[in-house]
Amino acid sequence: MDSLFGIPLTSILVALLLALGAIFGVLGVIAWRQPLLVRLGLRSIGRRRTQTALIVVGLMLSTLIISAAFATGDTVGYSITNEIYDSFEEVDFVVGFDDEAAAERADRYLTDEFLASVVAEFGDDPDIDGISGLLVEVLPALNAERRLAEPVAGFIGIDPSSIDTFNGLKSLDGELISASTLGGMRAYVSEDLAEQLDVSPGDTVQIFHSGQPAAFEVIDIVQDTSLTEAQFGGGGGLITRLDVAREVAGLEGKLSAIAISITGGVRDTLDKSGAVEERLEAFIDDHPEGRANILFTKEQVVALAETIGSIFVAFFLIFGLFAIASGVLLIFMIFVMLAAERRSEMGMARAVGMQRLHLTETFLAEGMAYNVGSAAVGALLGLGVAFVLVLVLGQIFSDAFGFGITFHFNWQGFLIAYSLGVVLTFATVTFSAFRIANLNIVRAIRDLPEPQALGGAHRSVGSLFKSAVGALWLVGWIVALAVSGFVTLLITATVIGAAFGDLPTILSGLFGGAALMGVATLMFFGARTVRRGAFRNRWNWRHWLLWAVWLLVFNLVAGVVWLLQLSRDWAGRHRSAGGWAVIMVLLGALLVWLAGWGVDALSGFQGQAFAYTSGFNLAVLGVAMLAIYFGLNQRLAFSAAGLGLVWYWILPLPFSLFSDLESVVGGDLDPVDGVLRVLGLPRPMHIEGNVEMFFVSGIAVTAAAVLVIILNAELALAPVRWLGALLGGIAPAIKTAIAYPVAAKFRTGMTLAMFGIVVFSVVVMATLNSNFTQAFLSESANGGFDVSVDVNPNNRIPDLRAALQDAGYDPDATIDGVGRLVSVFPQVRRSEDPDIDEAYEPYHLAAVDDEFIDLQRLPVEHHAVGYETDEAVWEAVRTDPTVAVIDASRLQPVDDFGGGPETSDFYLGVNDHDLRHNPWDPIALTVRDPSSGLTTEIKIIGVLEPQVTAVIPAFFAIFTSVATIEEHFEGGDLEQYFVVTADASDDAAIEAARDIESTLLELGVQADSIDKLIDDQASQSRSFQYLFEGFMALGLIVGIAALGVIAFRTVVERRQQIGMLRAIGYSRRLVAVSYFLESSFIALAGIGIGVVLGLAISHNLLASPEFTGGTEIDFQVPWARLAVILVIAYGASALMTLLPARAASRVAVAEALRYE
Amino acid sequence: MPDAIIELNSLVKTYDTGEVQVQALRGVDLTVERGEMVAIMGPSGCGKTTLLNTASGLDDPTEGSITIEGTDLGSLDDNTKTSYRATRMGFIFQFYNLLPVLSAVENVELPLLVSGTPPAEARRLALAQLERVGLGEWTGHRPGQLSGGQRQRVTIARALVNNPTIVWADEPTGDLDSVTASQIMDLLTGLNQEQDQTFVIVTHGREIAGRCHRIVHMRDGLIESEEQLVG
Repeated sequence: MDSLFGIPLTSILVALLLALGAIFGVLGVIAWRQPLLVRLGLRSIGRRRTQTALIVVGLMLSTLIISAAFATGDTVGYSITNEIYDSFEEVDFVVGFDDEAAAERADRYLTDEFLASVVAEFGDDPDIDGISGLLVEVLPALNAERRLAEPVAGFIGIDPSSIDTFNGLKSLDGELISASTLGGMRAYVSEDLAEQLDVSPGDTVQIFHSGQPAAFEVIDIVQDTSLTEAQFGGGGGLITRLDVAREVAGLEGKLSAIAISITGGVRDTLDKSGAVEERLEAFIDDHPEGRANILFTKEQVVALAETIGSIFVAFFLIFGLFAIASGVLLIFMIFVMLAAERRSEMGMARAVGMQRLHLTETFLAEGMAYNVGSAAVGALLGLGVAFVLVLVLGQIFSDAFGFGITFHFNWQGFLIAYSLGVVLTFATVTFSAFRIANLNIVRAIRDLPEPQALGGAHRSVGSLFKSAVGALWLVGWIVALAVSGFVTLLITATVIGAAFGDLPTILSGLFGGAALMGVATLMFFGARTVRRGAFRNRWNWRHWLLWAVWLLVFNLVAGVVWLLQLSRDWAGRHRSAGGWAVIMVLLGALLVWLAGWGVDALSGFQGQAFAYTSGFNLAVLGVAMLAIYFGLNQRLAFSAAGLGLVWYWILPLPFSLFSDLESVVGGDLDPVDGVLRVLGLPRPMHIEGNVEMFFVSGIAVTAAAVLVIILNAELALAPVRWLGALLGGIAPAIKTAIAYPVAAKFRTGMTLAMFGIVVFSVVVMATLNSNFTQAFLSESANGGFDVSVDVNPNNRIPDLRAALQDAGYDPDATIDGVGRLVSVFPQVRRSEDPDIDEAYEPYHLAAVDDEFIDLQRLPVEHHAVGYETDEAVWEAVRTDPTVAVIDASRLQPVDDFGGGPETSDFYLGVNDHDLRHNPWDPIALTVRDPSSGLTTEIKIIGVLEPQVTAVIPAFFAIFTSVATIEEHFEGGDLEQYFVVTADASDDAAIEAARDIESTLLELGVQADSIDKLIDDQASQSRSFQYLFEGFMALGLIVGIAALGVIAFRTVVERRQQIGMLRAIGYSRRLVAVSYFLESSFIALAGIGIGVVLGLAISHNLLASPEFTGGTEIDFQVPWARLAVILVIAYGASALMTLLPARAASRVAVAEALRYE
Repeated sequence: MPDAIIELNSLVKTYDTGEVQVQALRGVDLTVERGEMVAIMGPSGCGKTTLLNTASGLDDPTEGSITIEGTDLGSLDDNTKTSYRATRMGFIFQFYNLLPVLSAVENVELPLLVSGTPPAEARRLALAQLERVGLGEWTGHRPGQLSGGQRQRVTIARALVNNPTIVWADEPTGDLDSVTASQIMDLLTGLNQEQDQTFVIVTHGREIAGRCHRIVHMRDGLIESEEQLVG
């Protein structure tokens, strides 16, 4: 894997290493200047071992998830690449017939003459050590003795005089086999085909070409490689001599492909591939025959494997974001709790002369000591998690992949995970350390509560303005620092990354970061000297001298820093929460404006739900803070804001989840839009969200809900209190179990959020997966048919009923109807598009007969004007050869998430939203027959629902009538039949498929029960979903660890109180029960928040046609799946709480009472 | 005939810190009669608090026996001892030891709930007790919202709400100014006279001790002398 999200891994790594170097630089400076502070921080680590262990667990989780994502992607990429190398062996290029040229000449073959010219040109090329021609036909193969058949086997003719250099023939033991051992009607059979037909050496395999059988004796079974099967036949291959194959197929002098090998081995030729490809292409372009084309190169396929690997990494990283976010919250909370524990110590330290920065540095030292170790443990454990994931992946997809998955990771991914984990934790620890250090000495020493930060009795608009400017100063300063830091890192990373490779990269990154830090430190302390020299120590000549020297060296920086220092004092005096509220409102409004209207210079924001919704949320919270600033009750203000935001997310989103409420306010039910509409002001543009909205909505709605619940916890827990009163014996335990979390709002809120976020993500994922599987892979995805019958292109069947009857099978006994679908592969373009000079792109044109139209139940999602019902659309297709229906995959994609290979570049030029919200006229397409060059125009009058193509690839098509094909495409290239059985049961469909396949065995027909295909795919899909949900559920460990940290922490914090409780009569059991209930309330509340919000958002998403692509989904809650997840989540958290509960119950009473 | 409610015989308590052994009580013999108000005085580290903790069953003695109301505490298991404390004893501590997350009335009703009193009855009794200690208007306040004297009154209310036979007080006025301390002692002596409850008070203050019936002077883990103040 070379890149992630399109950024080269080396650049990411160098940037992170620079950041890591800078972090170590900071720590080095702290250790050098304040060794005592570092000792103070480090000694705190050993104070409570269990707590330390939990902190390490909490800190390592983010790294673990990142590392697991990388290793999983690496493994998938590596396994595919490995398979490619094993399969391609020495083949570097495969040259075949050019589609366009072949179609024009009605001839799909290369010739011996062309091969001779290639050999003449490249035979002596030192970069090429092998050229060989192949004939490949896809034919049915049969083991007559066992009545086993493979309808799509590769029948491959190889040339013994040139093929051996490719090392493509290998026995199952890995021994190379010479093609000279072939001769007469004898053949090697690839392992895959041998399994299908159950043949051994000495057995006979029949192949059928144009209905004529040819029997081959099996010499031996050979490995599956590109020469023996992989690229040419889905069901394996039968390999014989080229001359024999030509004779059987009647293709004298013809070749299907030419294999070319670059000088070298299997894996060491990619470097030369580009240059050789260029020469080869130039030769082919200049060749007078002009029918060849490079079909694929090993380099391209390896690159594709790498891309798939990076898609996996991106996939796991994106959906691991919830767990990572939870981990960050946990880190923050851990340090806030550590600070609470040491509040009085810190107050004392400040009282005896420690500065705030010293406290920050002490916490940084402690935090980073945890961090450096735990990130390493996390990165290593991530490899373990990835190992388990790939084992499961291998099990799930062993059939689909067709190859084994080998665990693999590369050091780049591992280092990135480690560095990212350290950097992420450092940022969180730094933020918490600054927050912690901002304490009032007296309040800290006397352990008095902090005053209300937001409220104020005599706040004025004037002071609010100053405060806002003060806060803006800090924002500007942070942004300037971040931007300059980022730019510096980027430039350095690029320079160093380009100049060096691997190991030097690491070293130079680390040293570069440290050096940068050194320069920054020099500038910073220089700036302080300037300031002190100029204002505080006016008469100290040493300071003047230092200042002068420093000014000389960094004159420009000195001036800027001086000004900044001056303005900082002013800003610091005036900054307050009110100022931050103003900034939030302004920033929120700016984001809403940029997304809803915007400017071209910042077009990246325009129409983006991320910016729009974040801005709105920020502004709402800012308004609530302002209301508190001017005297409104905090609980009231934040509850109202929180409820408003929950409503905002759960009810209609700006990307119109509740379209049917449009009639209420007109337009999408977005508050901003609604208000502007009422006022008659310009409305925002259409807002659209991509995959990131899953994350944004989850975080935002959970945070809002937690805010409401935590501020109103007394009310929320009133029923429990009431229940407790009825329970008698454990009533006191319930009383204390409720009182503590309600009183400790911050830590309870954080834990609720952590649990809530992760449970939310798992619930949404499970619900969406379950509903999509239900909708797309339910029996309604069968299009109204029971059996699909694929006909071998070399043995075409114009009438299935007749063919069955001819073979002695009575179709009327079991079959109710047979729909015929004839395929051609023309080139298509939109007829009219004034903006784009469109080229033709290939796409599938499917002509369906009247019986197909009668039998089908393919729902039409979008209807053109004049064709308002499904019946009207299909009737028009039946009667009018100029109209057609198209599958939904050709709607213009909104987002190209994943960057996977597309089957076609042809699109309709309109997207789902366009068609849904605007009446549309039929869309004219020009279809060109590549062989004749003749064009015809057809009009799209309907777009099918997406689930139509869930399991039947042939339905990725433009559906038109048979008349269209007959008129313009000479009867088409191949056909498929879709059968409706008399008995509608699944078993009847399976039996009918088996009967059809065995009856028409010699014609190579492949028949499948469509419902069985659906079931198989659903089962595979479910397994993958479980795996994926399992990965996301890793975040639950964060929530569970958080509960553990809190519970252990509270045992220490409340030791004296526990002693008192025991003194006044709490039994050990009652103390333990109280602790257990307390943690349970938090865990259950978090789980409850996650479930309710997750189900609500899932419901809204699934009710939104834009999200489902128009498929109507009957929303179902996957209770069983959710129950498993929730029982595991609660069970694990309950287990985690048992230990501290037990510890609390064993506190020695007298000792605890003395404890301070 | 005197009615001994607390009898301590050869009480020894040794703290083993792993490295050193500290003998906090070296063989204390003490008898306290029902309704008596006894002050225990002595310099820091002489074993006053250890004596109180051990005698009340909060801690186990290393050697010796403790008999409360004729029951040998050593023969009781932890749960029985806990129930006994809940129903028959009250505790007052120097630093109040109130639950900061509960209101005054909730703190006071806690021992009642623990001993199985129905919640409504517990609330009624707790309010009455708070009224009695002069905090009728502060029942809904949390400890953080009360002054030191008020907090100690809540502690006293909590200690007495169960109508205990014995009240153990460890420096009940140690964290209070002299005026408040005097008020608290007025309260305690008044309750002692009204309800004939036994009070064992650990204190440093001669003035506080002077309000009791008897002063027990301790030094180095032993009772050095006793001083009878009133009959």
